[in-house]
Amino acid sequence: MGLITERTGLAQIQPIKFILNWGRKYSLWVFNFGLACCSIEFIAASTSKHDFIRFGVIPFAHGPRQADLLVIAGTPTDKMAPVIKRLYDQMADPKYVISMGSCANCGGPYWDSYSVLKGIDQVLPVDVYVPGCPPRPEALLEGIVRLQQKIEKEDIREKWSGRLTAATPS
Amino acid sequence: MAGSRPLPPPEVETRVRAQFGDDVLAVEDQVGHAVVTVSLARYHELVQFLRDEPDFACDYCDFTSGVDRGDEGIEIVTHVFSTTLHHNVRVKVRLPADDPVCPTISDLYPTADWHERETMEMFGVTFEGHPTPVRLLLPEPFEGHPLRKDFELMSRVVKPWPGAAEGEEEEEE
Repeated sequence: MGLITERTGLAQIQPIKFILNWGRKYSLWVFNFGLACCSIEFIAASTSKHDFIRFGVIPFAHGPRQADLLVIAGTPTDKMAPVIKRLYDQMADPKYVISMGSCANCGGPYWDSYSVLKGIDQVLPVDVYVPGCPPRPEALLEGIVRLQQKIEKEDIREKWSGRLTAATPS
Repeated sequence: MAGSRPLPPPEVETRVRAQFGDDVLAVEDQVGHAVVTVSLARYHELVQFLRDEPDFACDYCDFTSGVDRGDEGIEIVTHVFSTTLHHNVRVKVRLPADDPVCPTISDLYPTADWHERETMEMFGVTFEGHPTPVRLLLPEPFEGHPLRKDFELMSRVVKPWPGAAEGEEEEEE
């Protein structure tokens, strides 16, 4: 683009930053990577009782290329890790990752297994970790709200600089 | 009438002993299932006998898997079931730990093909005559046979199991 660089003053971009981040946080097309029982809780969160669509999370991305948010719901194995990485790489920026449940966070009950990854953050940068085994839909909803707070505070200069880090809400 | 009712384990014992004699090493009754331990040489023949004999008619292979018995070697366990007579028979065969080689039964039951491939990678058992002896579940660079007792779980080497193992808690009291 060249219009906004890392050296652009914050005051100059404040209005556009607000609009961009506001638009992004309420239009999270989600790509559910369901690997185990957490996926069932994810589906419960998407249905009418918990209904994460009211937060602007849309669970019908046709594939990774249309998605903004990747939810790793379940147990990532060493064999699955390259596939997850590849699908993550296919997602267009800006993209966010929620690690849902103990398995995706750190290996969970399979911490000593020969086949389970010790947390999805070994292959992907994770924005929000949702603890639980599996987390209740409410916990995922809170994780989504936390992610939205994070997106809201995101500095687009930093985001467009190619660095993946963003300000964490306090 | 032969072949019209489930065979209780004592009758299974009588019939397999009549057919295989001393090659039947043991027959047990476990929750109503006959468990036949057979010599390695006649394992394939016994499974075929259970499938083809009208009194058994075990037309369904539930699973074939392995057990690591430590110094006593690797045990192959095959479970067959009759969908017409509703009885279960398990066949056990003992293999030496250093060079476990077992005849395949995938020619008798196509189901056993994948089960044997899994047993192959998990226990390091070679199935002689298997049509596609390649890995089923493990990723390609994986080294070792993870369900063997001597397989090192690296996570546990770095950080030992924090809780008590089953049975240890009682001993401490």
